[in-house]
Amino acid sequence: MSNKAARNLFIFGTLFFFIIFGALTIDTMGKLDKRAPEITEDVNAGKMAWHKYDCIGCHTILGNGSYFAPDLTKTAENKPKGYLKKFLMDPRAVNTKAAMPKLGISSDEADKLIAFLEWTSKIDTNGWPPKPILASAAGVGGKELTGGEKLYRSLGCSACHSINGIGGTSGPEITYVGDKRDKEWLTGHFKDPAKYVPNSAMPAYGNLSEKELSDLSDYMLALKQEVKK
Amino acid sequence: MTIKHESQKIAENFYTFAVLLFLVQVLVGIVAAVQFIWPDFFILNFNTIRTLHINAMVVWLLVGMMGATYYVVPEESETDLWNVPLAKLQFWATVVAVTAVVVGYIIMGLNPQANSPVMGINPLNEGREYIEAPRWADVLIVISVLLFLFINFMTMLKTKKWTGIQGVLLGGLTVLALMYLPGMFYTKSMIKDQFWWWWVVHLWVEGAWEIIAGALLAFMLMKVTGVKREVVEKWMYIEVGLVMFTGILGTGHHYYWIGTPSYWLWVGGIFSSLEPVPLLVMVWDAFRTTRESRETTNKAGLYYTVSHAIFNFVGAGLWGVIHTLPQVNKWTHGTQITTAHGHLAFYGAYVLLVLAMIYVTLPAIRGVKEFNPSRALKSFWIMTISMVFIVLTITGAGMVQTYMERLMGLDYVAVKANYNLWFWILRAAFGVGFLYGVTLLVIDYFKLGKEKATA
Repeated sequence: MSNKAARNLFIFGTLFFFIIFGALTIDTMGKLDKRAPEITEDVNAGKMAWHKYDCIGCHTILGNGSYFAPDLTKTAENKPKGYLKKFLMDPRAVNTKAAMPKLGISSDEADKLIAFLEWTSKIDTNGWPPKPILASAAGVGGKELTGGEKLYRSLGCSACHSINGIGGTSGPEITYVGDKRDKEWLTGHFKDPAKYVPNSAMPAYGNLSEKELSDLSDYMLALKQEVKK
Repeated sequence: MTIKHESQKIAENFYTFAVLLFLVQVLVGIVAAVQFIWPDFFILNFNTIRTLHINAMVVWLLVGMMGATYYVVPEESETDLWNVPLAKLQFWATVVAVTAVVVGYIIMGLNPQANSPVMGINPLNEGREYIEAPRWADVLIVISVLLFLFINFMTMLKTKKWTGIQGVLLGGLTVLALMYLPGMFYTKSMIKDQFWWWWVVHLWVEGAWEIIAGALLAFMLMKVTGVKREVVEKWMYIEVGLVMFTGILGTGHHYYWIGTPSYWLWVGGIFSSLEPVPLLVMVWDAFRTTRESRETTNKAGLYYTVSHAIFNFVGAGLWGVIHTLPQVNKWTHGTQITTAHGHLAFYGAYVLLVLAMIYVTLPAIRGVKEFNPSRALKSFWIMTISMVFIVLTITGAGMVQTYMERLMGLDYVAVKANYNLWFWILRAAFGVGFLYGVTLLVIDYFKLGKEKATA
């Protein structure tokens, strides 16, 4: 190959691939609006706040960002809104171990940020992030789940609490909660957490029936450290 | 070694600014590494420190490439720069603008409310990774780059010696200027935000910058080995051609999970898997050329040139391709695996490139016939070994994170705070090692040619 041929291959090949890339870009732009909910004023205001506080300087969103703090794409889907709002305004007031500093996010900004995060949680991301294999499989090994276990899963308690290391760290770990609490405390706490734990950011579950509250409490009581005899 | 044209000396201004910013980048990098273990360490939060870390890097590499271009273009055109005072102005304007942006980041770090929008625009920090610089700074950056392009273009026009090297160099720099524009407008949709953001980030580092690297590599191989221009330029065209054929559509590997249509899984998966190929050709090219002519007077320049080719392939190529397939990336996307790739890719592809250009051209600028390369080589080995270990610790952390968080479903914070703790401690320790290497480099930079060459 002569130098001139190599040069022409470089120039025209680059143009060729760039044109394909441009065409795909136009096609993609036409399809994006159908792959996510409508962007309201609140969602946009939330995005503006996202940029203002340079959230991406620690977090990732859609997997892109700084890898220092959790990805926030699906946060609004996994965590109760009341918790998120309190956390955003003063992280360490609701989670003493939080690494996030108090940035001065106002109540209004927190609402808008949550609206923005609700929007991102509904984007069609081609299945990302995937559901963890082991956490999805845990607890279903051939045995029927108790009523309490079913509720624990359907209410999404593990978004904040962890049992044997599986689950979130925003709320206390409850692996051995059965050693610490009695049924009366547990049932009352589900109805109104703040009455039992000052400053609690856990949502109240007073809407559950007495039967459900009892089942859930029984499951909690079963979470005990096994003593080998 | 002496320069042929007096105006080539302006490169030294850019080099000095570049190596000093390199030192700043590594200092704040160590603060960031310690914050992984102890988040409250230091008065500025992690987000500000990281912004400084990555922005210092982008700017010093860019400034280094500008200096290298001001050296290469007069040499290739066989004439002095078209307008030296204007080039000096461009240099000082860049220094002032960069300083202003950094001051803005620090103010915002101390008081986040200072970044409240003014007429809908964040005045201090755009809050977008890598392109945090606010809009007013974007405009100044574009003016600076256009002025820089104009000065070099006018220089080429003086003698109209259109060599392949300077043509490709100018082409790469033009693409670089153009690809900054997609990052300069606001979109309400986070999907579109990230879509255009990748045009800037990917088409810079895996497009424009690699073209510039290809041209500078060709220039350096010619200088350190004395191999024929025709051969070097032919391979340069093949290399940068392959970079563009794979890299443009390879952008698709960033469009897997951000809300874009699923055909990008195919486009990105196929083309980005081919991205290491041109980088491997560059390694082969560097090996072949340096083996053919073993006589070299500039050992430091040769080391940096060849190691740039090797680590460009390892860091940008291998560490990228391991997690580029959608099936793998689904689990690794957004984990420390990406951080590991980022560190080795930037070090190999661009840090070593700019340092190589400095060691190939600085002796001539300072009129040094011979210099003792022992400190340069010592700093090279300390930096390179430290960086390899930094990357290995982050890769380990990324594998643990991928397995425990993504596959097992453990909480992000638990994995980071407990299971990866020792990886963070080791990373910080190797960071200190890297800082030692950089300090030696900076000392060597200022002393080169000013002390006696006794081997």
